[in-house]
Parts: sequence; C-alpha cells; structure tokens
Amino acid sequence: MEKFKNNPLVKKIGYNRVILIGVMLLIYVFFSVGSGRILGYADIMSALNYACFLGFLTLGVTFVIGTGGIDFSIGPVMFAAALIGGRLLTKNGCPVIVALLVCILVGTAFGIMNGFLVAYMELPSFISSMALMMLAKGVGSVFTSTQTIKWPQLTDENGLGWYRNLIRWDAGNGVTIPVGLILLLITAVICGIILNNTKAGRYILCLGSNKEAVRLSGVNVRIWQMLAYVLCGTLAGMAAIMYVGAYTTVQPGLGDTFNNEAIASCVMGGTSMSGGIASISGSIIGVFIVSLLQVGILAMGFQKDYQYVITGIIVILAVFADVRSRRRAN
Amino acid sequence: MGEVILTMKGIDKSFPGVHALDHVDLEVRKGEVHALMGENGAGKSTLMKVLTGIYSKDAGTITFEGEEVEFSNPREAQSRGIVIVHQELNMLNHLTVAQNIFIGRESMKGKLIDDAKMNEEAKKLFAQLNIEIDPTEKMGNLTVGKQQMCEIAKAISHEAKVIIFDEPSAALTEAEIEELFKIIRDLRKKQLGIVYISHRMDEIKVITDRVTVMRDGGYVGTLITEDCTKDDIISMMVGRVIYEEPKTESAVPKDAPVVLKVENLCAGKMVQNVSFELHKGEILGFSGLMGAGRTETARALFGADPKESGKIFVNGKEVDIRSPKDAVEHGIGYLSEDRKRYGIVVGKSVSENTTMASLLEFMKGLFINKKKETDTTEEYVELLKTKTPSVDQLVVNLSGGNQQKVVIAKWLVKNCDILIFDEPTRGIDVGAKSEIYHLMNELAAEGKSIIMISSEMTEILRMSDRIVVMCEGRKTGEIDISEATQERIMHAATLRN
Repeated sequence: MEKFKNNPLVKKIGYNRVILIGVMLLIYVFFSVGSGRILGYADIMSALNYACFLGFLTLGVTFVIGTGGIDFSIGPVMFAAALIGGRLLTKNGCPVIVALLVCILVGTAFGIMNGFLVAYMELPSFISSMALMMLAKGVGSVFTSTQTIKWPQLTDENGLGWYRNLIRWDAGNGVTIPVGLILLLITAVICGIILNNTKAGRYILCLGSNKEAVRLSGVNVRIWQMLAYVLCGTLAGMAAIMYVGAYTTVQPGLGDTFNNEAIASCVMGGTSMSGGIASISGSIIGVFIVSLLQVGILAMGFQKDYQYVITGIIVILAVFADVRSRRRAN
Repeated sequence: MGEVILTMKGIDKSFPGVHALDHVDLEVRKGEVHALMGENGAGKSTLMKVLTGIYSKDAGTITFEGEEVEFSNPREAQSRGIVIVHQELNMLNHLTVAQNIFIGRESMKGKLIDDAKMNEEAKKLFAQLNIEIDPTEKMGNLTVGKQQMCEIAKAISHEAKVIIFDEPSAALTEAEIEELFKIIRDLRKKQLGIVYISHRMDEIKVITDRVTVMRDGGYVGTLITEDCTKDDIISMMVGRVIYEEPKTESAVPKDAPVVLKVENLCAGKMVQNVSFELHKGEILGFSGLMGAGRTETARALFGADPKESGKIFVNGKEVDIRSPKDAVEHGIGYLSEDRKRYGIVVGKSVSENTTMASLLEFMKGLFINKKKETDTTEEYVELLKTKTPSVDQLVVNLSGGNQQKVVIAKWLVKNCDILIFDEPTRGIDVGAKSEIYHLMNELAAEGKSIIMISSEMTEILRMSDRIVVMCEGRKTGEIDISEATQERIMHAATLRN
C-alpha cells in the first residue's frame, strides 16, 4: 500500500484521484456484468448527457464549498434559467442566442443575490441558498405559468434547434463529436486555473480556511467570498444550456435533486466541506462516477432510487476519508 | 475568623515546558474573605483549577474540613461544598432564573419537571441572601450583576462551604459592586470561607481579611490585609529578580519623527480616550493586566473592530481607518496574540501565507507569478531564519516561533513601517523567544516602529523604549524606560478612576 502511495505516477495524479478513477472503472465493470452486456456507445453517450450539465453545476459549487459555504440553490436555479430562457424563445420569439445568454444571466443574477446575502448580509450560506432555492422554483413557475417548457428540437422547422449541437454535433458519416464534453473540460481547465493561479482562487481557498486571518491581512474578503457564489451562479446558468441541449423539456418546480448530486460529486472528488481545499479534477471525476451510476442503474433495470442509495454511501465514505485525514493532520 | 476549613500545602503542577505551580500554600478559614493576588500568569487560576479538580496536582496536599481530599472533577468538589463563581458567567439566557439555578438536578413531579417547586426554592434562596430577583424571569433579561447573584444563589443551594470568586467585579458597575460586597459580608457572617481573586487593589483593602500573593507560579506570602499597604502588596507581586538585561535607556533619538499619533481613541468599554505617539525606530511597550484593553486598542487602531471616535495620524497626516485593508494601506501591520485564529491560515503553505497581504505585487497579468512568490518567500525564510523544510510546507506543521516568523514575513513583504506585536512570544519556547526579541530590535534599528503589547513584565522592561500602561480601558501611565520599574508599572496598571 505504502509502495503504491509512493509510486511517482500515483503521487503526480494524487492518491485520492487514483482511487476515484479505480472506483469509476469498478462501477463500469460492475454494471457491465450486472446488466449482462458491455456498456456501450449509447450508454456512454447517455452518461455524457448527464455528466455535462451536472459537471457545470459541480464546477460552480466547488468554488462555494472551497470558501467553506454551501449552495443548495443551483439545481432549481439551473431550471429557472432554462425555463425563463425557454419561455422567451418559444413564446416571445426571442432569438436562440439571446435565450442562451438569458440562461447565463439568470444564473449569474441568482449567484449575485446569494453571494451578497452571504458575504455582505452575513447570512449562513445554508439558509440563504435554501431561500434562493425556493425563490428560483417560484420564479420559474410564475414566469411559465406552471407550464412545461419545450425547447426546440434539432429538427425544428425554423432552425431554432442549432443550440443542441453544443452538446453533440453530428459531423456526418455517422461521426458524433461530444461538444458538450469538450466544453465541460475546457471550462474545467479554466476553473482550475482560476482556483490555483489567480488572486481570486487564492483568496477563495484561504478565506475558506481562515477568513478572519485573511481579513486581518488587509484583504477585502467579502468581495472574494461573493465572487465564489457569482461564479457558481454563472456556471449554473451554463448548466441550463447543457441540460436543455440534452433533454429539451424543463418542468417548473423541480431541480433540487441536482444540488445533492453536484455537492456529492464535489465532495467525492476531495473538496473539503469545511473549506480551504478544493479539487477541480476531483470534482470532474466525481461527476463521471455519479453519471455512470445513473446510467448503469437504469441499464441494470433498477429504479433510479438505487442510484441515490449508492451515491449516498459513496459520499459518506468520501466525507469520512476527508474527516479522518484531517484529524490525522492535526 | 474561625477555624481553618481549607488548607492547600506544597501544591505543585507542571505542564510540558512550564512549571505552573511551584509548592504553593493557601489557607482559608471559616468566616474570612481571603484575597488571592498576583500578576497575569502568576498561577491563581491554575491553583483554583487544581482545588476544584479540573487539573490534577503533581504534589502537595489539600485538606478540607480536616480531611485530605482530591477531587477528580468540579462536580465532586461542588458536592463537598467548594464552588467557583466564574468571571465569565455560565448561564443559559433562554431559561428562567430558577431553571438555571437547579439545572442538572431539577425537581420532578413524576416524569415531569416541577417548575413551581423550583421557583419556590429559588425564592427561599434569594430571601436568605436578601436579594430581590424574580425566579421566573428569563436569565437573559437580567443585568450582569444580577446574573452573578443568581450564580451565588446557585452556589449557596449546593450548600457551599467555600466559595471562590474569580474577578467578580470586573464586569460590574459601582452600585452592583456595593451590593456584591454586602452579600459577601453576609456570607462571611454565616461562617463561609471565601476566596476572592481580583486585580483591584482598593477592593482588596475594603473587603478582604487576608491576602495571599503569588508570583510566577510560586507562593510569595500571606498578609493580614489591615496591616499592609497597597505598596506592600505590589512589591510582593513584582519583586522578582530580572535575569535578562532590562533596557536602561531608550535607543530612540530625541528628535525621531512621530510616525503614528493616536488621539482620544474610543471603542466600547475597553478603549476610552486612549492617546499616544509612536516614534520612528521605537519599541513602544503596552503594559497592563488582563482585560486592560490593550488588544482592543490595537484592534480598533488597526480597523479590525469598529471605533466610535478618535483621530489617527500616520506620518503627520490624518488617516481614516475603517478596515484592516485601510490600515495595511497606510503601512500598519498587526500580529495577533492568537496566531492560529487571526494570524496565519494554518492549512496553507508558508509561501501562500507570506504573500497574503501583498499578492498584488506577485501578479503577472491575471495570474500569480509563483516563481517570484517562491523566490521572495525563500528570501524571507533565510532572512528570518525560519525553520521549514520548504516554502510549500503547510504552516500547521511549523512550531509556534516559526509560525510567528511567517507572520512577520507577511508584513515585511508588504513593507509595513508600523508593526503591532500583540504578545509576540506567547506560546513560543525560550530559544525562539530570544530570536524574536533579536528580530524586533533589528527591525527597530532599521527604522520600523513597533508597538509591543505584552503581559510579561520582563518582556516589557527588556524590549521597550517607552511604556504605555493601561487599566480598564484607559491609559493610566506613560513611562520612559530610564525611569521604569516594576513597581511603577504595576501601580499604573492597578490605577482605577
């Protein structure tokens, strides 16, 4: 075990991440055996549909958890963004590009509100994001008169369906390019750079570790704390685009399960719930695990509920490992 | 005074690296108020903690009512009749007075709590003490003075024979203190033994019968209060031999410019009209007893806590400091007494902590220039002789002295000219201590100006060029090092209105 831990390649990737990748492969094998067939192209594409929007949500919440906060509003915010943008597109004749921008703006607006409440009004993030979750659900419902919104299909006669190429682009000759995955990975790289190489990321993680010490170093901690929530909101808005790109239909009043899955992915990936430590690559691997579970459970013919059971267990194990390693460090 | 009820003899207690109690004696008689005095860190609290079973003693005997005892927790001590009334009151504000008094031993009526009976009992207790408090009132609605009386009532309800008051008057108004003394005299008449811990010299003269003085964990002596003067007590408190060479004269030239001037700074009860000047290259010591308001003054000056009024001038220009950010921009750096909470981010690396206050200088466009960051940190690690395996080491893994050096580096990188050291050597071992002193002297020689808050008399006398003394939120003295003696400082530190 020690030898494995000290292997240079393992060290470079990170012990926890190696374990996570192992878990991911294990799940893949398990489902392949369990469903009596190798999980193939269709399953993986299906998993990717899920991974794309969940990935954007998870990247966002990684910043917030890095500050030591939590955001329970991202799922409903994503839905509110998709509902508002979709309604403008389908009922008000907005151009597609405007509808997509509206999605991002709605997400950002919720992020600004949440960040302001936490950083400047000093509300616990648990409470403020809970309130915003309800607000987002309500706003989405009111805006659409509680009606399901259907974004245009790729085959839309007015050519409004082009945005779906942002998830998967059919390049002809039966070749499909997973544009969504590429966008997610590019965004992840940018998030990684923000977190590790910019002032914003440095202060976000430091204030997650000891806010008062950072403040007493003469840093305007409020602005950096707020920024984490704004980033999270913006990414939730982008997640909305990924969601409609994959599934087209959005129902008002839903979305909360995605919070939990995003937070679970993030924690699984090694971001510490007490703040200060965050891993973008870990979050992405977490997202793949959760997405694979989602698809695999269905492939095995089980209800979605089993996915929750397994995700729950993995989260408990991940948090337990986090708490234990921190206790050992002290 | 009656017969002896409690004797502590030859009590010895060591913690890793500290000999906290060195053969201390204390004797309390029935019907006496016995003062326990000493500077900060003299060992008064430790002695009381040994008595009530919070700490176990290494050697010595405790005799209570003629029988040798050893309590393993405060509950045991309580059940024998030894009770502490703490300075910080441990009350639950949302419960009623009676519920607080009987917490953990509620009167029951079957399976339900019998509040009516507890109210009745509480009423009887208050009648005994001649105080008027409604037992059904919520604790949070009472003044601090009244809350303390409830605590006394609680002690009485435990059938206390010895009550220890730990700085009971610190949070009280004059009128409340009067009332407290009335109760204490009453208790004395009832033949209880009372230990009274306080820094307030005049109170000691008014209320106590005997005084035991401690110094640096040792027993100095016991006097009859009536027969001694304030000066006698002070000289017992401070009469230590100073081993390290004290400074005899200021190292600052007479014409050194004033870099920081504070005028009538006010911030709550702990900072009232504080004014002082700091010269270039000076180490200005801030002395005083616990709760004198020194840290509060520093924090208000630094913008860490809001101030009510007062002017601050840096290099002759008035500045408006509302947040630590403003203070840092004016070249003021603050090194907190509580490094782990306010000084460093323990979960982050040495280099991340070093550049915390000046990250802007390490930016290359949008990105942090990690090479420059590492180079600068290494430079300061070498300069300050910080012991760390690498600049990427997490600060949590460094010793106290080296953590302090990381904080110093943080402010030096920011190029702060005014440094506030709050208890710079607290929790730092002896070797590292003299290194920190050396460093501070070097900084001052290079023209940095230093405010040093310290509760250690030797540290004040060894390091300061000038000494400001505070007592209960006010400045009560300003002494040049050439005229400073332990007695003079202690006089000022106990000077109330």
